[in-house]
Amino acid sequence: MSLQVWVRRTRSPEPAAVKREVNVLEPADLLDVDAKDDPDASPVLCCSGEPTGAAAFGPLWLKRIAASGRCAAAVSVRGQGGTPAAPGGAEAYAHDVVQAAIGMPRQAVLIGHGTGAGWCALAAARYPAAALVLVAPRKLPKRLPRPVGEPPVMFAVTEAEAQSKEAQAVTAAYGISPLTFPGGADEVFKGQNAEGLLDAILSWLNRKED
Amino acid sequence: MQEFSSQAAYDRGEAVCVIGAGASGLIAVKNLRENGFEVDCYERDTVLGGLWNPSNQHSPLYPNTHLVTSRSQTEIPDFPMPDHWPDYPSSAQMLEYLQSYASHFGLAEHIWYGSEISHIESVDGARFEVVVKPAAGSAARRLRYAAVIVATGHHWVPNLPSYPGQDLFRGTVLHSSQLGDGSRLRGKSVLVVGGGNSGVDIACEAAVSASRCAHSARRGYWYLPKYLGGEPSDYALARLHSRPKWMRRFLTDRLLKGPRRLAARMGMDEPDHAHTDEEPVRNGRYLEHVGDGSIERRPEIARFEGGEVVFVDGTEMRPDVVVLATGFRPKLACVPAELLGVDDDSPYPRLMARMFSPKAETLAVAGLVESGVGVLPIVHWQTHAISHWLTIRKGDPERAANFRQQVISESDQYAVSSSGISPRHRLAVDAQEYLAGLGRIIDTLEQEPVK
Ligand SMILES: Cc1cc2nc3c(=O)[nH]c(=O)nc-3n(C[C@H](O)[C@H](O)[C@H](O)COP(=O)(O)OP(=O)(O)OC[C@H]3O[C@@H](n4cnc5c(N)ncnc54)[C@H](O)[C@@H]3O)c2cc1C
Ligand SMILES: NC(=O)c1ccc[n+]([C@@H]2O[C@H](COP(=O)([O-])OP(=O)(O)OC[C@H]3O[C@@H](n4cnc5c(N)ncnc54)[C@H](OP(=O)(O)O)[C@@H]3O)[C@@H](O)[C@H]2O)c1
Repeated sequence: MSLQVWVRRTRSPEPAAVKREVNVLEPADLLDVDAKDDPDASPVLCCSGEPTGAAAFGPLWLKRIAASGRCAAAVSVRGQGGTPAAPGGAEAYAHDVVQAAIGMPRQAVLIGHGTGAGWCALAAARYPAAALVLVAPRKLPKRLPRPVGEPPVMFAVTEAEAQSKEAQAVTAAYGISPLTFPGGADEVFKGQNAEGLLDAILSWLNRKED
Repeated sequence: MQEFSSQAAYDRGEAVCVIGAGASGLIAVKNLRENGFEVDCYERDTVLGGLWNPSNQHSPLYPNTHLVTSRSQTEIPDFPMPDHWPDYPSSAQMLEYLQSYASHFGLAEHIWYGSEISHIESVDGARFEVVVKPAAGSAARRLRYAAVIVATGHHWVPNLPSYPGQDLFRGTVLHSSQLGDGSRLRGKSVLVVGGGNSGVDIACEAAVSASRCAHSARRGYWYLPKYLGGEPSDYALARLHSRPKWMRRFLTDRLLKGPRRLAARMGMDEPDHAHTDEEPVRNGRYLEHVGDGSIERRPEIARFEGGEVVFVDGTEMRPDVVVLATGFRPKLACVPAELLGVDDDSPYPRLMARMFSPKAETLAVAGLVESGVGVLPIVHWQTHAISHWLTIRKGDPERAANFRQQVISESDQYAVSSSGISPRHRLAVDAQEYLAGLGRIIDTLEQEPVK
């Protein structure tokens, strides 16, 4: 976010406030796993483009992230899951992501899935995310803005989509090549492929924070 | 860090020293850290948040202080306030906001509390030696830093007028910052002096809790309600800046016509300046209290006479309490005057772009402007620029030298002319122009990616 972009935003109406659904799982909440809460590890906030919002991350994602010692959360943007609908497009969804992010205990990693990847990319241009992770991005905004605070960016697509328009746009914007995972785009949330993907993301997060 | 004797200075290498853990200091620490600097922040008090923290020993908060700038114009650009907060958050929410900013970005671990900086001095060219005032019984500590950012605020030293006969006055006279919870006003006959935001807010408080309230202001000001045209006033006015100039003028006049006519009806002097030249008084209740007689307007005080106060128009009153809401004097006591571009004891530094020392390349001051808009965003962009500047200076001295030339030429562009003689008017900048200047500075700094 440049100063000029910020000035423009302070002169535009703010999206209507909504009561957002945010599902949170702390390492200490896990009864069956002995997860250590690592106070230095950044918490993780997930956002998907699926209509079910936070619930899309289902039983697998938040639990597995929390088991790695990080506070895990997922947000439903306006109109998704348990968050009431309110006017506004991608910018308003990005606003919802930023608002959820500032509610996290510490600087958070943003993980965006599908259309949610684009919203997280927009949010990361307003809020200094600890890291930005884009999973199987869809319908990205025309111009991917430069993130503030220069967070590391990671991006994962299915093997079939490694050459897609979205993948090329992400590579061009952030100068990174995709990590590919097996299976279809619908296998992100459960099953073996989903677990493999999640472990790849978590090990990337852990590696960079050494 | 260990304890160090007064003789040997501990060298902190490339680390940067930030003085003050108020809003400005916190933002400086966060932006420096984001740019990879090691930072030590020294705070003389035992709490963070500066003047927004009522536990800070000298906090100037008075009863019921709320922001005068609206949420969207006050929040830090990359860390907004919760959007379910009211348009004008309270001072308690402001403190909560600063505390959550500090914990979100892990700033507390870089702050040393109870550490007043008594003095800084240039050593070895561009480095600084920083002296931490000793706590009782121990020796002063000296540390060396590559750079210093001063963020000590400018609302700590009361600006106190004195009037003939004042020493013999039998009532209570106190400064707005000493008012505390306001119980001293209850049921009393109160005179509030000073037409700034503090004076007007306190007069409104006294209008409902004191037995009588008179308010003395020495000239005309812009009185803006907190809302104009159904929107927070500062937002409504800022929005007009995206319109073409001729239309903006017309629309601004239309927005300000109501408040101006109301002030005229209440018998107030016409303001002698444009509404952007000085921070306007933002209080919607004030004129209504004047209108229903619960605040009596008075001109300047001429003298005190026993238990009486006589005004320049010859009227008198017999107050129990006189509240001097006459503002503050900026004071950067720990920085040698010559580093601030002044050769005497003037408290008004001559800084480049209102932040860089004209003498020492790695000394900067954050938050020393009165801009009429939210202070926090201005400090965010100031410290963003300062951090980038320090990065470039480290890696590319030639580029850094060119950059300094640009800053010098920017520096004179946003001084505003103000008819006020209060200290704060000397710190005034036109917010839109100052921000545009900061934008140009930042663009230059970011032209090539920093190596
Ligand atoms: C009553 C009042 C209301 C205001 N309302 C608004 C508003 O609505 N909107 C707005 O944007 N702004 C407002 N302001 C302006 C306010 O100045 C800023 O919002 C902001 O608080 C400035 O923060 P700061 O860090 O620059 O200064 P401060 O908050 O003053 O913090 C300075 C810190 O430095 C410490 N310090 C000082 N000297 C030393 C030293 N030698 N060594 C170590 N530590 C030191 C102090 O203890 C303090 O903690 C208001 C100011 C006042 C007085
Ligand atoms: N609620 C809020 O958010 C809030 C509340 C209060 C203050 N603030 C901010 O805090 C800062 C300080 O505000 P402030 O109101 O305390 O101080 P201020 O804005 O400096 O106002 C001081 C007032 O006292 C008058 N004055 C000064 N010396 C005088 C004298 N010798 N005789 C008579 N009158 C005299 C000044 O008149 P002249 O103008 O003629 O010099 C001015 O009207 C400002 O930035 C303000 O916006 C914010």
